Amino acid sequence: MKPQKSRYKLAFFALGWLIAAGILFQVVLGTGFQRIFSAVDERVSRVAQYFSDRQGRAIRSARQTSRSEYLQPLHTQLNSVTALRNPPSMLYGIYDGGFPNTFAGMERLETALRFKFPIISFYSAWGDKPAQQFPIRMAETIHRMGSVPMITWEPWVVDFDARVRTNLPPVAEREYASLAAIAKGDYDFYIVPWAKAAAEYKRPIFLRFAHEMNDPYRYPWGPQNGNRPEDFVAAWKHVHVVFQKMGATNVLWVWSPHISMPWFEFYYPGPEYVDWIGVGVLNYGTIASWSRWWSFHQILEKAYPQLLRMQKPVMISEFGTLAQGGEMAEWYRQAFYHMTHTYSRGVRAVVFFNQPSDLTISPNYPLNWSVTQSQKASEVVAGEIARTTAL
Amino acid sequence: MPLWYDDAELFRHRRAAPIHEWERWVLGVLLFLGVQSVVYFGLWWFRAGHVNNLALFILLSFATWYGVFRILVGWYNVFHIDQPEPQAPAEGLRVAIFTTSAPGEPYEMFVRTLSAAREVRYPHTTYLLDDTRDSRMRMLAEEMGAVYLELLDIPGAKAGKINAALGLTSEDFILVLDPDHIPFANFFDRVLGYFEDEQVGFVQVAQAYGNARESFVARAAAEQTYAFYGPIMQGMHGTGTPVAIGANCTFRRKALEEIGGHGIGLAEDLVTSIRLHARGWQSVYVPEVLSRGLVPADLDSYLKQQLKWSRGVYEMLFREYPRAFRSLTAYQKISYFMIGSYYLVGVTSLIFLAVPLLYLLFGKQPAVFLLSEYIQHAVPVGIFGMAVYFFSQRWLCDPRRERGVHWRGTLLKIGSWSVYLRGLVLAVMGIAVPYIPTAKERRRARFWTLARLPLAVLVISLLGIAWTAWMQLYVMPESEVLITTEVTLGMVTFALTNVVLMSGRLYAAWVDRDRGERA
Repeated sequence: MKPQKSRYKLAFFALGWLIAAGILFQVVLGTGFQRIFSAVDERVSRVAQYFSDRQGRAIRSARQTSRSEYLQPLHTQLNSVTALRNPPSMLYGIYDGGFPNTFAGMERLETALRFKFPIISFYSAWGDKPAQQFPIRMAETIHRMGSVPMITWEPWVVDFDARVRTNLPPVAEREYASLAAIAKGDYDFYIVPWAKAAAEYKRPIFLRFAHEMNDPYRYPWGPQNGNRPEDFVAAWKHVHVVFQKMGATNVLWVWSPHISMPWFEFYYPGPEYVDWIGVGVLNYGTIASWSRWWSFHQILEKAYPQLLRMQKPVMISEFGTLAQGGEMAEWYRQAFYHMTHTYSRGVRAVVFFNQPSDLTISPNYPLNWSVTQSQKASEVVAGEIARTTAL
Repeated sequence: MPLWYDDAELFRHRRAAPIHEWERWVLGVLLFLGVQSVVYFGLWWFRAGHVNNLALFILLSFATWYGVFRILVGWYNVFHIDQPEPQAPAEGLRVAIFTTSAPGEPYEMFVRTLSAAREVRYPHTTYLLDDTRDSRMRMLAEEMGAVYLELLDIPGAKAGKINAALGLTSEDFILVLDPDHIPFANFFDRVLGYFEDEQVGFVQVAQAYGNARESFVARAAAEQTYAFYGPIMQGMHGTGTPVAIGANCTFRRKALEEIGGHGIGLAEDLVTSIRLHARGWQSVYVPEVLSRGLVPADLDSYLKQQLKWSRGVYEMLFREYPRAFRSLTAYQKISYFMIGSYYLVGVTSLIFLAVPLLYLLFGKQPAVFLLSEYIQHAVPVGIFGMAVYFFSQRWLCDPRRERGVHWRGTLLKIGSWSVYLRGLVLAVMGIAVPYIPTAKERRRARFWTLARLPLAVLVISLLGIAWTAWMQLYVMPESEVLITTEVTLGMVTFALTNVVLMSGRLYAAWVDRDRGERA
């Protein structure tokens, strides 16, 4: 019996060591391999960029027309940070739900509107994965298509690997006061290379960092996690300083509070740190008890005077309506009316929130924000854009 | 070129290198690192964010992880590597050699085999089980001191004849010798000793080939067997699961009689060994070259042999395995399942062929991830897979001839996917494949018949690439083309890799094409 028993003991002993060694090994793989392969990743992406360029050239010579040619009249403006700080006429942009995997949804909207958007907006979360680094592929592609990228940069601090980032608190505690930690420089390991990559990209980028920071019901960087307004301001300034240090002067800073929530003005970092004010105007119609059919004017009017006082151009950074509870075409018609009359002094850019399947309210109930779901709305929007754009 | 059976070098007795303690440690470290890299790959692969088209993702995951699972079980097996201590046989055992002949097999082959059987030192009786209706065979048997048994019109092909002969003979131990195998004189001296253990039902030795240099196909087919008769079967010996492989297996009569004689069917060897294992008989694998035989030397024979095997192996899995399941040891359950599912490579190859084409032709994409991310996570598995593979080559039976990158074998195996798929379909539908002994001479066949499938893959892949180029140039929105560059590049590379993987079979078909003359 005895050897049998000691054999089991030995097995358990060995198992414990194996598990310990396994975890250690995973960490080594996680860091070591990641480091080796970030070089591989760079090379693969460079090869892809090269082919992308060739494809673009081939398409241009085959079709005799291209998207960037359509946007040619705006070329000088779209490649100058100074010009983009104060555009002479309304700038239009789009976010599409298919990004970054496909541009098919954007193509559909552009075809319906007989228009190409000068700004292409997308979202990028913080984290350790390759897809969470500076989105060079997306930015390069957008540039190739003649547009300017707008990146909504979301500090999801839990996406950093605890095994690798030993300086950070454990994942469960990390979201508390994360903005203060950012301000302190705890996340510079991530911000610095990102800023460097953004600087290397050279061309203008709209950057919308930690948007809707004053909404306690939305993102982890909101006030519900012990993030005070002064923490946000400090974090914003810190990030801004890092970008300046890295030479990323090509970035346009879009400060984006939630205007339906109170006290957003306390989150304003100051005129020397902000280029644009971003405002979401989304009409949720009658889909939930907390919402009803609000017009563009109703959503914007209360906050507008305060925004105007900040003396920065205003961008409707998320713009759209659902179909439930009203007439989409009418909503858009009124919205454009107010933009060009009531708010013409402030509002200088509009970014369509073209998400046909928005799961942020409920994963089982996708919301459709696309303009093209209504033929009539598409016609109205196409007409209004044609009337107000320089293109 | 000298004939292979005149090359004395080939007929030297060889035994796999012994296993040292330090080698086990190296193996242990490699396997530990390997398992870790599989975990690393798996934690990355199965991320919800990767799924694009769920059905395709499931298929691709099945194909990928089926391969990884086989690697894992292979590692587990090789970790148990063990060799039996050589044991001198007792004197006076009653031993028989059964060798069968079928119509169409060349006469000269029997001259060689029977004369070699006569030279086997341990006293034995050789029986020629014949149904050729060729009068020369009886004379040959008598000349070579063998007993001639004419067994006409017996169902069950080779196994049927063996069973009939069992009824006509009385020896306690029977070596079933394939007629193309030339046994060495010390064959029984290395085998019979293990039967001293009353539990041992059969003893299998390595199968080695003499004609491996004859052609591309012969070389490829031989390469496919090296690892199996080397580290794999020795690992199976360590877990008590060596199987009988038709040729060169010595059985205990009592064991065979207990299961009602030799199993019948396309995989008669496997059927026999699973039944014996289910009855509690043990088996021994001797990692020694004690005979040399023939491996299919032309593509047509090779593909026919593979169809037969895959059909037979599935039959074992579907019919024998469930019946025997409860009586098998845990190791045997795993082992027979792994053997039974070996030819699923036909299904996974089809998936790997289809994935890039579905993207290029219909825009269906199973998963979303960066190519560099895939490389980062899959490469460690590949590295340790190769490391274990090459390290365990030290236990090949004839390392000087067998060591190396077995790329011909791999190419031909992947190229034969359609045959394995057909084997599965036939087995599921219960359609029989006639039992024909594998050809003993190199034959030729029409190029088009042999090359149809790889050519089709080649043409469809190239068409898919051309179609994509045209669509991108003239039809697809510019932005869509530009953002999908990396995926398209990846898929085109994938499709071209598939074309390369078909090249082995294509080359073999070209070499073995019918040039109008009869071989």
